[in-house]
Amino acid sequence: MAAEERCVLQDKYGNRFEALARAYAAGQELEFEAELDELLRVRERSLFVEIGRLSRDLNAALERFTFDSRIVDLAEKDVPDARQRLAHVLTMTDEAAHRTMDLVEGACPLAERTRAAAAAIAPLWDEFRARRIEVRDFRSMLDQIDRFLAEVQVDAERIRSNLSEVLLAQGYQDLTGQIIRSVMHLVEEVEQALGNLVRLSNTGDGGGHAAPHASADAATSEDGSRRGYGPPVPGVAHGTVVTGQQDVDSLLSGLGL
Amino acid sequence: MSRENTKFLVVDDFSTMRRIVKNLLHDLGYSNVTEADDGKTALPMLQSGNFEFLITDWNMPGMPGIDLLRAVRADAKLAKLPVLMLTAEAKREQIVTAAQAGCNGYVIKPFTAVTLKEKLDKIFDALGTPP
Repeated sequence: MAAEERCVLQDKYGNRFEALARAYAAGQELEFEAELDELLRVRERSLFVEIGRLSRDLNAALERFTFDSRIVDLAEKDVPDARQRLAHVLTMTDEAAHRTMDLVEGACPLAERTRAAAAAIAPLWDEFRARRIEVRDFRSMLDQIDRFLAEVQVDAERIRSNLSEVLLAQGYQDLTGQIIRSVMHLVEEVEQALGNLVRLSNTGDGGGHAAPHASADAATSEDGSRRGYGPPVPGVAHGTVVTGQQDVDSLLSGLGL
Repeated sequence: MSRENTKFLVVDDFSTMRRIVKNLLHDLGYSNVTEADDGKTALPMLQSGNFEFLITDWNMPGMPGIDLLRAVRADAKLAKLPVLMLTAEAKREQIVTAAQAGCNGYVIKPFTAVTLKEKLDKIFDALGTPP
């Protein structure tokens, strides 16, 4: 036995052991038993310390396991989902921009036609106001005004309706905004996970560092249905979603609403 | 009370959507429209503001729309306030949850001006508010 180990043993049990030996030699039964109990207590204490250490190690290993499985989830599911979400954002912004431009392009010629028709009538109208218009020109002006009044009502209504549609098309900002916000949360989580990974690789110890993502993840699933999930994205699993307003209406009428 | 004079509160965290809804309501003849950006801001406004109609989004930071709806139904003074959910939340169970929590209508985004008008009319008809 090495001198160092003998020294540890003597520190831990030496006094008690000697007292036990003395009581044994003297045949003092009560003292012998009291020292024996004390020796056992010392032994139990070190056993508890050992169990405590083991349970801490186990806990750290479990946390590290949760952390590792979250990283796998992030890599295998959430990041590809995020890519899909961003692709959908791209599609939505593209569609909204084209829809807006189509509507503007549809409205511009109408405004131009109104302007041109008014410009064509204006010189005749000036002549009329100056009381020097020819009868033939006067009849022509009346015909033009008749056409103008009819056309301007139709065209202005088309322009108004296009502008209203342009307004609605801007709803993409809300819808894509919600999707982008969810991706931002994911990026934040990846950042945390990477930070934890760096710490783990530096220290070789996962204990205690892996908690934030686990609680964030739990929070997400816990209040997902309360907070809301944001707009459904094609190709990303959302459970059973409605396909449009008609679907909502039939679901609600089934509930008596 | 006629429909046109109805005092609306529009709650959405995206200002663009609030502007859209406000503009559409104006087009439909409703000019008394106030905005709030989430449930937490909206609730005290509702409690003190004599609003007659609530249009709310679901997914908002702070207090989400479903919590606002529940808070409204739990408040004796507001319990009868008509509430229209206007949201992109599309899970069937969420729509059922909103119906059970007492919403009067549910419009899914993206929506059209016609849909908004239909749902408002339906709610007003059910309340017996004269056009």
